[in-house]
Amino acid sequence: MKRGWFYLIGFTLLMGFDTLAQISFKYAGTHALPVTADVAWLLRVFGAPWIYGAIVGYVGAFFTWMSLLKHAPIGPAFAASHLEVVSVMLLSVWLFDEHLTLPRVLGAIAIVAGIVCLGLAESREHVPDADESPARA
Amino acid sequence: MPTGGISPLVAILWLLNVVLDTGGQLAFKAAAGDKDAGDGLARWKHMAARPWLWIGIGCYVVEFLVWIAFLSLVPLSEGVLLGSINIVAIMVAGRFLFGEKLTRLRVAGIMLVTLGVTIVGVAG
Repeated sequence: MKRGWFYLIGFTLLMGFDTLAQISFKYAGTHALPVTADVAWLLRVFGAPWIYGAIVGYVGAFFTWMSLLKHAPIGPAFAASHLEVVSVMLLSVWLFDEHLTLPRVLGAIAIVAGIVCLGLAESREHVPDADESPARA
Repeated sequence: MPTGGISPLVAILWLLNVVLDTGGQLAFKAAAGDKDAGDGLARWKHMAARPWLWIGIGCYVVEFLVWIAFLSLVPLSEGVLLGSINIVAIMVAGRFLFGEKLTRLRVAGIMLVTLGVTIVGVAG
């Protein structure tokens, strides 16, 4: 039960930081166009404020992630952290006038269904795990 | 940006992102999963004195720039969906390096994510 709340709060926080980072990345990248492998591009990226929003999102996500990883197996934890695709997609319609085309919607449904499968696989495997944990402590 | 096809530059940035993200995650798992690390501040000191944490951070710094370049060339909604392939890469790598199990349900999840990324990549 305690572990459930730990995951819920952790993953919600992770999703918020990840969403902030992705939106900021898009603004930073668009501002720095065209893409060139040189210092001028880096200066364009770091010369606008957006990159710093991405850094806040990244650092926040990093510490949240490292705390979660101590207890969760890498694959399923990673999958659960990727539900931000939904929040980012919806926000990009609003912020960037993007369209939810049929391939994107179908792709997103398949991806989210895949993520749900991976989450289910995790919860099944964690049932025997709960009995083991007191022995380890 | 044209949709329905991916330019060579976008494809290269996408592949680089998968490699760096997987490398970084595996390094973080190696750092965080160390059973001798202890708790709290001592745990962070233990991790900071070993290479895995820093290898992970190095991968992330480069990935950070690669991902900005990638997202500036594709719509954000498409970009984050294409980036979901990292889930598949990390699971397959976790299976080989940490012996994490690939059950039928996980294989189904991996196939669905791959299908979704393929739909978006081909038809955008």
